[in-house]
Amino acid sequence: MENLTRRLGTGIALTSVALLSACGGNGSSGGDDGSGPIRIGVSAPLSGDSAAAGTDIVNAAKLAVKKINKEGLLDGRKVEIVQVDDACDAQTGTAAMRKLLTQKVVAVAGGYCSGAVIPETMITDRAGVPFIADASTNVEITERGLKHVFRTIGRDDKQSEFAARYMVEYLKADSVAVIHDNTAYSKGLAEATKDTVKKLGAKTVFYDAITPGAKDFTSFLTKAKSTKPQAIYFTGYYADAGLLLKQAHELGIDVPIIGGDANQDPTVIKTAGRAAEGFTTTTAPLPDFIKSTADFVSAYEREYGTEPGPYAPYEYDAVNVLADAIARAASADSEKITEALHATKDYAGVTGPINFDEKGDRVHPIYVTAVVEGGAFVPGKKLDESGNWVDAKG
Amino acid sequence: MNDFLQYTLNGLTVGAFYALVALGYTMVYGIIRLLNFAHGDFFMVGAFLATGVLSLLTGSGLPSGLVVVVALVAATAAAAALGGVSARIVYLPLVKAPKLSLLVSALGLSLAVEYGTALSQGTGFRSVPHIGFLSAEHAIGLTDGVRLTYAQLGVIAVSLALMIGLYLYVTRTFTGTAMRVLAMDQDAARLMGVNVERTIMMTFIIGAGLAGTAGTMYALYYPQVNFLMGFLLGLRAFTAAVLGGIGNIPGAMVGGFLIGLLESYATGYVAGRWTDVVVFGVLIGVLVIRPSGILGERVAERV
Repeated sequence: MENLTRRLGTGIALTSVALLSACGGNGSSGGDDGSGPIRIGVSAPLSGDSAAAGTDIVNAAKLAVKKINKEGLLDGRKVEIVQVDDACDAQTGTAAMRKLLTQKVVAVAGGYCSGAVIPETMITDRAGVPFIADASTNVEITERGLKHVFRTIGRDDKQSEFAARYMVEYLKADSVAVIHDNTAYSKGLAEATKDTVKKLGAKTVFYDAITPGAKDFTSFLTKAKSTKPQAIYFTGYYADAGLLLKQAHELGIDVPIIGGDANQDPTVIKTAGRAAEGFTTTTAPLPDFIKSTADFVSAYEREYGTEPGPYAPYEYDAVNVLADAIARAASADSEKITEALHATKDYAGVTGPINFDEKGDRVHPIYVTAVVEGGAFVPGKKLDESGNWVDAKG
Repeated sequence: MNDFLQYTLNGLTVGAFYALVALGYTMVYGIIRLLNFAHGDFFMVGAFLATGVLSLLTGSGLPSGLVVVVALVAATAAAAALGGVSARIVYLPLVKAPKLSLLVSALGLSLAVEYGTALSQGTGFRSVPHIGFLSAEHAIGLTDGVRLTYAQLGVIAVSLALMIGLYLYVTRTFTGTAMRVLAMDQDAARLMGVNVERTIMMTFIIGAGLAGTAGTMYALYYPQVNFLMGFLLGLRAFTAAVLGGIGNIPGAMVGGFLIGLLESYATGYVAGRWTDVVVFGVLIGVLVIRPSGILGERVAERV
């Protein structure tokens, strides 16, 4: 039943998107016929639980396109965004990709939930259209040998290693609880973390999944508490994290609670209130932690009047690195763009230099912890080159 | 033992929400044999309205107890009004139509309310202001480590009071009697002078009002609201109504608390990822043995 309603809902959303974009362009011109605007697809959840993150991603893409069009790209042709709602759902996502392909996009930059991006990239890869993921960190996305898949964000196995080392080495926890929500991203991160915790000589005493959207996690947390973990790692999404923190506080759970990068959202703090204090996330450096993103942050704030979310700079870089590849390829042909993307060398993105390895993964992604202090996320710790924990700021 | 007590308290609190929402499903089904898909959305509208009132009045200097009461009354009234209006516009014209038309109208209304809310309020999560006396610090210590918070106590007490009130209303008042008569035979009821339209409207108003109250308490207890929040809860509440015996008011209460407790014990003693399997497995088991639900024995007398 839930699926039916959701599908009907997104069906309506998709139809309206299709209508809008049909009216927007001059219809017949595609990306690869050498005239008209060059179309870049952006898929993101624009309805449902993760809609806030999705809107942020689309905004970042639009900002990048604005800049690209001002500077001019290829033979004076404009770049145009075709946005679609994937609703964080595999079926809606594949339908959205087919829609994008009929709109003749030359490439896709976007995505949020790994569970949707995994099937989406299968469709685009088969069509020979490159897909640059800005936020989806599940290992599988780039592990299937798909030639046309890239990402500007790090992978879960890198994050899980960082999270496990933070708990076991920095917090000196011998026993940890790992909680996921059974989605592809969350489960992948949780499993990898559990493995690394074991490798580091500590125990995972509690490993279980919540039902996303269930709102009441008190019984779940009561059970987790009874296993006496010294740290808790939650790999689900921000909508559930706030309630989880509040209810953990109510149950008197006082061990450190750490969240994966999908919890990097002010909603967590607003929902949990004081119970959010001390909550730590493992994340790619936030926009205001890195000097090179300062210009992007101020441009985003000028344009939209709000702060960019955690993935906005990665989407901004994804669209920009794509434009760079189009310029270097001197062509809007999807295969040529893919080749140019593979040849990317030290592109100066706002999130740091961008290089792709042979799988399409970003080389050397950095992770940091962010801690809630005084109702806001502030920089926590990171690992330096020699493996010591140092302050993340700077 | 302590854990068991904690699981029970958690289960009763969640169950109270299910039971309150299940009442609306069961009343409407009892009277016009309609699975009102939009019922979970009445709950959602109540939660949004309460959030609006709370945001507006928190920090206005009014005592927080009064703010909560104002939010409860306003959200209940708004949800009741929405229930009445939708009965008038969507359901009453279709009472004599094939049941499938009614069902599809309910589905349509549900989507219209959900996406109408999404358009006007946004698709993200909105946080609900925290009310001091409902925070974790205010609790009654039961045994070592197990606490009953004022918020939990409030949810359970208000729900029980409303359920008893509703039971008395349906069994002791004229309109209540009319509802029960209508549930047995609509044509006979009309011949006996029952105002059928008015009684159906009243059923929707009361059911939606209860959902609005539940929505307010839900927003206070789980302080974030979203336009799709009514769906998952509505599904559970509907399950509760079926488990208890759809059309039967005490059945909805029993079903609600039972589903809440089952969920809690399944999470605690099996595993969180198995909760739905256990709960719905039990549901199927019960329905195989008692197809009309736990209290749904006397099919003749619904509501």
